[in-house]
Amino acid sequence: MILIKLAYKSLLNRRGSAFLTLFTIAISVMLLLSIERVRVDAKSSFSNTISGTDLIVGARTGDIQLLLSSVFRIGHANNGVSWQSYQYIKQQRGVAWTIPLSLGDSHKGQAVLGTTLDYFTHYKYGKKQPLNFSQGAAFSHLNEVVIGSEIANKLNYQLGDKVVISHGMGNTSFHHHDDNPFTVVGILKATGTPVDKTLHIPLAAIELIHGGGHSAESEHDHDHDHDHDHDHDHDHDHDQHEDLTGEPKQITAFLMGFDSPLYTLQVRRNINQYKPEALLAIMPGVTLRELWEMLSIVEKILLLFSSIVVLVSLLGMLTTLLASLNQRRRELAILRSVGARPWHLFSLISIESLLITLLGCLLGCGLFYTLMSVTAGLLQSHGGISVTINMLSHYELMLIGAIMAAGFIVGLIPATRAYFYSLADGMSIKI
Amino acid sequence: MITLNNVLFKWHKQQAKPTLSIQTLKIADGEHVFLHGPSGSGKSTLLSLLAGINIADSGSIKLLNTNLTALSNRKRDVFRSDHIGYIFQNFNLLPYLSPLENVMLGCQFSKNRQRKALQQSASLEQEATRLLNALGLTNEHHQQSVADLSIGQQQRVAAARAFIGSPELIIADEPTSALDANNRTAFIELLFAQANIAGSTLVFVSHDTSLQSLFNRTISLTALTEQAA
Repeated sequence: MILIKLAYKSLLNRRGSAFLTLFTIAISVMLLLSIERVRVDAKSSFSNTISGTDLIVGARTGDIQLLLSSVFRIGHANNGVSWQSYQYIKQQRGVAWTIPLSLGDSHKGQAVLGTTLDYFTHYKYGKKQPLNFSQGAAFSHLNEVVIGSEIANKLNYQLGDKVVISHGMGNTSFHHHDDNPFTVVGILKATGTPVDKTLHIPLAAIELIHGGGHSAESEHDHDHDHDHDHDHDHDHDHDQHEDLTGEPKQITAFLMGFDSPLYTLQVRRNINQYKPEALLAIMPGVTLRELWEMLSIVEKILLLFSSIVVLVSLLGMLTTLLASLNQRRRELAILRSVGARPWHLFSLISIESLLITLLGCLLGCGLFYTLMSVTAGLLQSHGGISVTINMLSHYELMLIGAIMAAGFIVGLIPATRAYFYSLADGMSIKI
Repeated sequence: MITLNNVLFKWHKQQAKPTLSIQTLKIADGEHVFLHGPSGSGKSTLLSLLAGINIADSGSIKLLNTNLTALSNRKRDVFRSDHIGYIFQNFNLLPYLSPLENVMLGCQFSKNRQRKALQQSASLEQEATRLLNALGLTNEHHQQSVADLSIGQQQRVAAARAFIGSPELIIADEPTSALDANNRTAFIELLFAQANIAGSTLVFVSHDTSLQSLFNRTISLTALTEQAA
């Protein structure tokens, strides 16, 4: 007990250098925990981008390419799925629901998704959470749009605002469908998924803005094959039942849910062997895991860097303790004169390093929680990572335990030196 | 109390002349001994041998009928903390402890001295307070930083630290060198009073021979060494 008290008071006496050492350790602990937490939450956010969907079906490309284009809106599918194939597969036994997805247009660099009302009913993310509206409701007319939360925040859109869709992706599209402005009728609650960055319009509207019967047609010089003659008038009163799905020639992909998981593998096999068209059906959970595996090198590099930061901070502690030891030979000699044995001095220095590491870890945890609280919103809005601020996980506690153990081991070096100093110096004050 | 026989000590084996050579030295229980000698005569070496920090190359050193040279390092450490109180020339108080804590530190590493201290007072803190007051340091100074104490006050704290737990032997290594003549005498009288109460033997080392009249025995280290030669 007296050794702990002495170590504490001695550290307090050298609080300037001790605090700097402690702070260095705290920063490294904060970094390590933050990287670990963001890694886990990024993985979780990533895996939770889509849930409850049994299959994603698109033109035959690669599993990951299909996932990226249909769920993450990254890249674009070279081919689509014909409407006939979609209709055929949709009617297979065991199919509970399907959501057609039509991508390719954008608004100010954000993806525009043509889909049906089933999207708002069956699309799930996270732990099978459905999409919810923070304002308004799903579209009920062809010229209505439902926007993700991030679009609403970033572009400051309110219900009733007019939105013009551009052809193609990116911010620099030269083709704006100016004649077909969409009215914002719904804003979705934040999901932390690409849904937040998507504008949702009726599937039929996609065909409509690219299709015939509109003044827009003359402005479109891109070569669309419009065999779907759509006679549509925007000034017309839409209160009557309106076909929001239409009959597009093809769609980018579609999501499927089954009555029972037992159908998944069978239907998947059938789709992959579907003769009339080269299609690919993927199980999103499996492909998400494969995609994450590809990114695992990044998480390993992050962990490596944060471990190096911890190591450097511990070496900083070692340097401080060793540097102060020579100045403390008088203190060690005084303790020897009052009866402290060499092992007492060894323990004293070990306790000091342990105290610095412990306090560094505690301060690091405090800084970690502060950082997480401050940046949670930022991570959600900019990185789509929903950070959970809860108790330290078992693994995070293990990391802290490892830092404590490393701190103790590093502390043994000056402790051993103090032991031998005390043997050599005895009670004579050398400095 | 202390018996030295044919003690020979060299700091380096290749030394031609030993640093310390004492044929016989006996100090009885309760004696207040003034040990003097010029610089380099081996005063500090003798003290380190008496404290069991160093071991004589030959001969025997007995304290309280225990042969220090026969004890292991660990046992010598325990023996020192149990039976010897040490007052340094520069007092060597720990700057991060209060005067009271510095005094209590004197018996923190010895159960034997803690037990003796608790026979005197109800707690170690009370005993430290009692000693500080007896040595002339009033309560108002007991909790303040030792760095804020005067030299004379620091000296009293150092003395109280040596006396706590009533060790049988008090070694004082030139503790009055920084004081003027009046304060020196007053301090030595306080030391004697405490040594008498504790029943401790006092070995006071100094090169200032003007102090020897205050002690009941004076030993010249030079004479001792010449006698051995």
